[in-house]
Amino acid sequence: MNRLWPEPTRVLVVEDDQATARIIQARLEMEGLIVFLAANGVDGLDILHREAIDLVTTDLMMPAMNGFRLVQEIRDLPPPKGRVPILLISSNQNEQDMVRCLAAGADDYMTKPISAQVLVERLWRMHQRARSSS
Amino acid sequence: MHLQPERVLQILIWGSLVLAAFLGALVVLGAWIQYQQDRLNRRRIERFQAWEQDLARYLFSTEGEPRPFPEVAPEDKRLFQRFLARYHATLAGQEAEALKALYLRLGVLDSLPRRLHHRLATVRAQAAQEVAAFRLEDHLGLVVPLLDDPVPYVAHLAAQALARSGDLRFARPVMDWVLREERYQRERLLRVLEGFGPGLLPWLETHLDSPEADPESWVLFALLAASLRHRESAPRLLQLIHSPSVDIQASALKALAALADPLTYPQIEPLAHHGAWPVRAQAAKALGLVGGPDAIPALIALTSDPVYEVRRNAAQGMADLGHAGTEALTWLAEDPAADRFARDIARERLEWADERGHL
Repeated sequence: MNRLWPEPTRVLVVEDDQATARIIQARLEMEGLIVFLAANGVDGLDILHREAIDLVTTDLMMPAMNGFRLVQEIRDLPPPKGRVPILLISSNQNEQDMVRCLAAGADDYMTKPISAQVLVERLWRMHQRARSSS
Repeated sequence: MHLQPERVLQILIWGSLVLAAFLGALVVLGAWIQYQQDRLNRRRIERFQAWEQDLARYLFSTEGEPRPFPEVAPEDKRLFQRFLARYHATLAGQEAEALKALYLRLGVLDSLPRRLHHRLATVRAQAAQEVAAFRLEDHLGLVVPLLDDPVPYVAHLAAQALARSGDLRFARPVMDWVLREERYQRERLLRVLEGFGPGLLPWLETHLDSPEADPESWVLFALLAASLRHRESAPRLLQLIHSPSVDIQASALKALAALADPLTYPQIEPLAHHGAWPVRAQAAKALGLVGGPDAIPALIALTSDPVYEVRRNAAQGMADLGHAGTEALTWLAEDPAADRFARDIARERLEWADERGHL
């Protein structure tokens, strides 16, 4: 499917596993997106403050600041940064965690292992929704 | 025996020299080992970085284009297996299939049966992981004996590999392994069983002995129904809340709370008066989730329970109900005629919610 991402679309990928982060980065760059990598929530928040980020994907379990806290911190920011669409990725299939994250303000949730194609599709839909609502 | 002073001096000098030479040799050996490790690490990093780029090109090549991946040198095969293993828990779908194709290209499949019985636990463990990661269905049978492996993590990986296949032919040996493990590991064991997916629950219902004969398996059944939110298990869970085992009752209540079906409320409510506090504590958790605001009178009654855990769960259950629950808690906290236990726990929960900005 051909998606026409508006240029430039910046995605923040917060993931402590470098291998996973780089493979996600490669796939998103193939879509023409600009990718920023952060190894934990603290670094991710720092990048979010500095850059005009359009989408965030974050792992749930991370050192320093986990994905759940990161979602809360982002949602506490004033708009537009506080409204950036967030996709949570976790290796944990616990439904309660999913509900907690969605309740904290995440827009969507995926559990590992993930299909890169599905990931891109979800990001696309989140981005479309955010654009139509803004 | 009497030694001349010159002789003693000579012995001391030679002894010191030998000791110094020995220590020097140790230092050189240590440095050499360190050098070799650094060299291997550098090589690993260099290879991994190159393969990462190759892998991205290989996985995400446009449809119709050939998937290029450079040949892996024979001396790098072990390293490449480790590289591929890093992605097994991460990638699914087309990418997982492409990874499998890459793994099969390595030509290490022939050695898999031998490696599954290798004397080194690390080799056995990696072989079991390969079976799981690359979904090598033909080799699953060879993994079963590893459930009896003397090294616990090898047995654990074997159970994971069998469960992740989703093949219920392996449900019995995996369940037997789970029941041999320590109970304090229940959460880890549940994560393994979840690998089978929801299909395991009907299998358990038909294959387990009665709850009286095999209570631990039924506890696992209930906890699994909870974590998988398996609605079809509700009728059995409603039977299990009347089991003579407190552990089964509490677990079944936990599952019913997770399913949050309001139709089950009338059957859950009487358990708020159960003689065993773990059942009352779980009932306190379940009532609000299942009954919603209608559960408030029952929850208020539980806030004066003699056991702290029951009171805490009841108050938390009310706090989770939102406005109606918070209002009831505020009324309890401020009512001088209310039970002292109930008043204290209501105040505690309100403060707790206030500190977190939930009010």
